This record gives sequence, C-alpha cells and structure tokens, in this order.
Amino acid sequence: MIVSIAWKNFSRQGIRAILNVLVTALAMVAVVFNLSLYNGFQAQATRNMIRTDVGGGHYQAPGFDILTPTEWEDTTHKVPSALKKLSSAEKAEVLVQQGQLYPNRRLYPVQLRGIDIDQTLLDLPLDGLKKFDAKLGDVIPAVLGVKMAKKAHLKQGDTAVLKWRDRNGVVDARDVRVVDVVTLVNPRVDEGVLWLRLDHLRNMTQRMDEVSWVAVDEHHGNVDGMKFQSVEQLIADILYMIEQDRRYAKIFWVILVFLAGIGVFNTQILNVFKRQKEVGTLMALGMTPGRIVSVFTLEGSMAAFLSVFLALVLGTGLFAWFQSVGLDVSHLAESTIPVQEKVLLEIHPDEVAYSTVIIVAIMILISWLPVRKITRLDPTLALRGRAIT
Amino acid sequence: MGFVLSPYSSQSQELDAQKLLEAVDDNLWSNTKYIEGRLIIDNGRKERILTWEHWMEGVDRAYSNYLSPPREKGTKMLKIVDKLWMYTPRTDRKLLIAGHLLRQSMMGSDLSYEDMMEDKKLSAAYKATFVTTEDLRGTECCVLLLEAHDKTTTYQSRKLWINREEKTVLRQELYAKGGKLLKDVEYLDYRPLGKRMFPRKMIFRDLLKENTKTTYIFDTIEFDIKIPAKYFSQSILKR
Repeated sequence: MIVSIAWKNFSRQGIRAILNVLVTALAMVAVVFNLSLYNGFQAQATRNMIRTDVGGGHYQAPGFDILTPTEWEDTTHKVPSALKKLSSAEKAEVLVQQGQLYPNRRLYPVQLRGIDIDQTLLDLPLDGLKKFDAKLGDVIPAVLGVKMAKKAHLKQGDTAVLKWRDRNGVVDARDVRVVDVVTLVNPRVDEGVLWLRLDHLRNMTQRMDEVSWVAVDEHHGNVDGMKFQSVEQLIADILYMIEQDRRYAKIFWVILVFLAGIGVFNTQILNVFKRQKEVGTLMALGMTPGRIVSVFTLEGSMAAFLSVFLALVLGTGLFAWFQSVGLDVSHLAESTIPVQEKVLLEIHPDEVAYSTVIIVAIMILISWLPVRKITRLDPTLALRGRAIT
Repeated sequence: MGFVLSPYSSQSQELDAQKLLEAVDDNLWSNTKYIEGRLIIDNGRKERILTWEHWMEGVDRAYSNYLSPPREKGTKMLKIVDKLWMYTPRTDRKLLIAGHLLRQSMMGSDLSYEDMMEDKKLSAAYKATFVTTEDLRGTECCVLLLEAHDKTTTYQSRKLWINREEKTVLRQELYAKGGKLLKDVEYLDYRPLGKRMFPRKMIFRDLLKENTKTTYIFDTIEFDIKIPAKYFSQSILKR
C-alpha cells in the first residue's frame, strides 16, 4: 500500500519529478563516465608503457635509477645466466648511458639506449637498426622518435656528432646517422632518447655483456645481483598522477550529487509544507507518523530508483557513441604522459554498481531528512495546515 | 739534450719528443703559482667576463676566488687532489663536485671542471712522438702527438705545436679515443717571467659547438710564492 501511495504522489508531481529523475540520472551517467574515462586513460598509459618499455617488469642493476643520469655509468651489471638463457620473446636487454649529441653544432644531452635488436618482447619500431652489422663502423646508426627528431632538428639521413664516455671515463666521439625516425606512443622512450643497437653501445662504452636492466615477460624468481621491479613499481609515478586526478575528480562528483540532491531535497520540503493537511488526515485516520514518513521518503526516493533506469538508457547510448569516436588526447603528445592515441572508456561493473548504490543511498537520505519533522507534527494543527509555518 | 729533427733516427726523435714535452712542462709548472686574470666566456650569442684570482700548489692543490661580475662574486673553488668543492655565496653552501658532475661545463664555458682540474704533467701522462714541423703564426713548430699511457686518461691523444726554441706550446688539440678532434687551445702572447716563458692568453674552443670560445687572460702571474695554508683548507669556503 505504501508503495502505491508513494508512486501516486510521485507521479502527481509532474515536471518536478521528471526534472529530479533527469538530473539524478545525468549525475549518475557523469560519475560513471568520469570513472570510466580515468580507467581508459590509465589502461592506455599502462598498456603503452608495458608495450614499449616495461614489459612484465625489469631486473635492474643494483642502484639503477632512470631519474639519476649522472649515475647510469656506475650502475650497470653483467647479465646473469638465469636471465641470459631466456628467449628473445621473454626478455629484452637494455643498456642506458649518457651522451652528448651535437646536431647542427649545438649541444643536446641525450640518453643512449641500446637494446637487444633481436628481442620481440617490446613493441619498438627499430627495424631500421637490424640491417646493420653487429660490428661498429665509422658511423653509428641510430633511430629517433618523432618528438626527439623534431626537438633536435634532425631527420632521416642526417648525421651529427655524438660524444660519450667509455667505462674508463675516456672521451670518445663519432658521427651518428639517423637511419629512421619512428612514431613512439610512449614519450618516455622518445624525447631525449637515441636508440642504438645494444652490441654497438656495448662496444662504444667497453661494457661487454653489461646491462642497465633486463625487461622480462614476467617475474622469473630472484636473480643474484639484480633487483626486480614490478610493472606497478615502474609506472608508479603515472599511477600516482592518475590517482591524484581521480581525487580531484571526486570534487566534481560531490558537486554533481549535491545539485541532484538539492532538487530532491527542495521537492521534499515543499511536499511536507504544502501537504500538511494530507499528513493531518492520514494521522487522523490512524496512520502512524513512522509510516507517513516512509510514504514521503519512498516518494522522494522514486526519483533515485527511476534515475537508475534512465541513466542506463542514456548511458548506454552515450557510451556506445563515445566508444566509436574516443577522446582525442593528441595534445598530450607534448607531455611525458604515455598516452597519445584516442582514449576510450573502460567500464568496470563494480565501479558502476557502487557508484549507483552510493548515489541512490544519498538520494534516499536526502528524501528522508526533510520529512523527519512529520513525526513531531500536531495532527490538529496539521489538519488546519498550520503545523509548519 | 736538445731536440733533434733528423728524419733518419726515429728512436732518438721519440726520445727527444718526450724530452721536449718535459721541458714544456718544466716551463709551465712550478711549485706554487698565483694568477689574477679574466675568464671570457663567449657562447656565440653573449659574452661574459669573469675576473678571478687563483692560487696553486703543486699538482694537487688549487684555490680560485671569483671577483666579478656581481652574480659570480664570491664564488670559490677548492681542489684537493681529485676532489673539487665549489662555494656560492648566493646559496651559502659548499658543494662537492665529484664523479660525473666533473664532466659538466664549468660556468657555461668550453671547459669542464675536469679539464680545469687537470692535474698531471703532460710528460707524465702521455708518450710523445714527433709528427712533423709546421709554421704556426710565423713560428716554426714541432708537432708532437701525445698518446696516453693510461687507459683511464680522459683524452687518449693530443697534438701539441711546440716552439722548440722557447719550449712553449702554441697550440694544442684534444682528441676523442676514436680520433675525432674535440677541442683546441691556443696559447698566445708569451712573455718572459723570470726564467720562464708564460702565455698571457689562452683560448679554448669546443670544436663540436658552433662559435663558442673561452678565453683566459692572465693579468698577474707570480711563481714560487708562499701561499698560506688556509687557502687550501675547506674553511676558506665561506663568505
């Protein structure tokens, strides 16, 4: 009976009810959209990092820190036999050293990144280096990312002098030829990076068999002399950055839910005020104040329940359309965030479920708060419409 | 022994090349040295002039104090063996420049801290061989090729143009291990100082960069002076 009374009262509200449902539904869609967009952003960043750099984790030389270039030369390690025996699909040996490139006779500090050219673990478009002999010639072949090439004003076929130090600290220099300029979806392996064959870089720096890290497909247990860094550890800064953004996004949620809640709250206050005589009549007929509160609360909560269905309808259409176009984040190409393609939504059902439950719960609470005062009403005054002034 | 240029005796040439290099070192090096001068750093777009005073004792200890411009005034550098400390009054802190930091450019110049700290006599670090004779700025010079004894010497080879009469270096080229020419140094305006000939001007060029040069001009030079011990103590690195 309570439900049918509540439904009748709710449907009589007309445009007010429709607006409440619409606003609540839009808030739900916006919250889920926002969450899914961050998921998509994080998923793409993680995928790009794994594909181009991280793999399933790194076995790093002890003390190695990619953010401390001045120590790269002191933190290399011979490849342990446990890693050496892995196939080229399971590992990628990488040696990183400092270098100074002089494009057009201007100094440009670079990261010399030598990678095992036969590896297939990481998806790097370095085929341009494959045709060169393992023996180092007079000119060193190198591949640049598009961003790096643009900043250094170099293009395919250009040469520039490269200066570096070998393991004894001896200065060496040679011409480098840009054999290819490639698109890299991860700016961290593009900007400031000069890609070389690992055998060439080892030869140049007198670091035979040494690496800065070995990227692997998965954790292969403890390896003597190397420290394993998981994917989460290697992309911790990106995860942290996205997590921070998610926190800021919660402010946006609060505002949305607040706006939707204000509509319902206002409607409930108005209902109690305008329908005092109805409340008085129900009391006079023997309905307990608790049951009357339940009727009014349920009436207000109808907006939340109906908005779930409306959100489902609106959201399905919106999300389907969005997945077909994606969010263009090409402007991020100038940043170091490894996301350059279109970002698509990644919907997590558990997130949809809990955000819906939270919003519905808040709406029920907001529906109940203004009608609590009904329990304190004097039925005689309510019948005359003077209980609340 | 004098320098022999006979093309028929390569062994004696090598021997004499080494002797000539030792004579050059003897001319330039002294137990103690005081220099007051200017450092002109020209990066191709802008020229900065720094004035500084410098005390040196043997090959292990040196102290420099920058006097101008106001931005650099009070900057001090102290070298003890293979360590270099730098003090800047703006931060009021002394900083140990060690390891790879030594390879950075010194105050935006064409010299690295490592270049500046160079503490070995050339004759001790390199084996000299005679290459040819060449006329340089009107002076007939012996061109010596220097090859490092040690695999850890920063520049594995150098070329020196030496005035064999005065035992002075007029020009020096520094090469990468692979043979690429990296830097050159011109020694100009030699003047007698007691028994020595000492250049009043040195121009360093990083040949990998365009239009840059760093010029040292020595206005005052004193050899074999007594330097108070406090000049080579870390306690001097303060305002």
